[in-house]
Amino acid sequence: MVESRDFALVERCRRGDRQAFEALIREYQRPVYNVACRILGNPDDAADATQAAFLKAFENLDRYDPDYKFFSWIYRIAINESINLRKRTRELRLLDENQPAAGAGPDSTVEAGDLAHSIQDGLMALTDDYRTVLVLRHFSDLSYRQISEVLGISEKTVKSRLYSARQLMRDQLIANGIEL
Amino acid sequence: MLEQQTLELINAEIDGALRADERAQLDAILESSAEARAMKAELQKLANLMDSMPEQTPPEELTEQILARVRLPKRHPTFSLGALMSSLQPAQVGLAFAAGLLVTMGVYELSPGQLADVDPASVVGTMVLNPDVQNVNQADSLTISEPGVAGTVTLSAAGKLQVLSFDLQSADTAEISISLSEAGLSFGGIARVAASGLAADGSYEVSGGTLRVINQGHQAFSVFLLEAGVDAGGREISIGISTHGAPVFSGVLRG
Repeated sequence: MVESRDFALVERCRRGDRQAFEALIREYQRPVYNVACRILGNPDDAADATQAAFLKAFENLDRYDPDYKFFSWIYRIAINESINLRKRTRELRLLDENQPAAGAGPDSTVEAGDLAHSIQDGLMALTDDYRTVLVLRHFSDLSYRQISEVLGISEKTVKSRLYSARQLMRDQLIANGIEL
Repeated sequence: MLEQQTLELINAEIDGALRADERAQLDAILESSAEARAMKAELQKLANLMDSMPEQTPPEELTEQILARVRLPKRHPTFSLGALMSSLQPAQVGLAFAAGLLVTMGVYELSPGQLADVDPASVVGTMVLNPDVQNVNQADSLTISEPGVAGTVTLSAAGKLQVLSFDLQSADTAEISISLSEAGLSFGGIARVAASGLAADGSYEVSGGTLRVINQGHQAFSVFLLEAGVDAGGREISIGISTHGAPVFSGVLRG
């Protein structure tokens, strides 16, 4: 029934109903923000990516296919926005090498704790593909099937990426002196 | 060095995705390989650590910031009957409706609580709640019993006003289309008298002589129709219901 409720809310948004729009934001802003936080490693950038994702979603409501779950759609947009934002900030950093890297210092990471810090740093060292699949599995608690819907890839590819990503994370944490 | 298949089995175990035959296979490997046992323990601990990381709370102002920037499609005008009635005396409401002054499209929220404060005899919409006392003649009705959608639609006449009363239960989102122009009718308004599930504010549209209403859950509402021209008699109103674009019901009401 969540799907039909979301579909009805999207229909109301298409007709200009602001309350329906607000209901969708309130329902999904927290999970979307959390995905963005983990992909970007920076709360401020995550807020920007979340905002951009919702604005893009509602500008493109006509393209929303009700055969897919709304959360899959908004997650995918948020992931793309986050990855694009990360690329842009990287490019800006290359232009100004004196600027500290986002997510590199304790103040800019999501958590201040050492272990949490190490895990976030480990995530940030992965490629976008590996980081994204780990975030969706372990921080958003999505199943293989849900991840495949969000990313538009097969479940087989989800498993392959997830298993490789875990292995790389494990290697990296051990190399950084974290005992597993 | 562990084989790729062993790593896949360990990862599937961590995700709770092992089949029975795979579990037996993994158990056998774990029993004979200390390296596999160590790898499983490490990957399991890593997964547990990530699973237990605290959720982040978005900034409080984030919703407002998004709302401030979004540009939604222009909304159809809507009106609250409650607000309307608070500014007009009950008799004026009845006169206004009868005179066609409320022909502007709108959703009229009509709750039993509101009706308790007004004279039912002077508000056209109250015929929905109690048709017997309103001198309304029931002309025809349809019973709908389709997978996912069930209920009744009744056509009544009150002078030059036609009233379609819907009492529908739909598991999924349903779009109801009502052909008005071919029946010589125009849209006068909607009064919702009971709703659970989706509150369908704004979920209606009139275009090309057809009224479309989005319905979900249990909804009872009445559509007020005005004669667009001379009453030719033998009126036929086509009702169609579809879910996710696929027709599930069609019928004709004669009045």
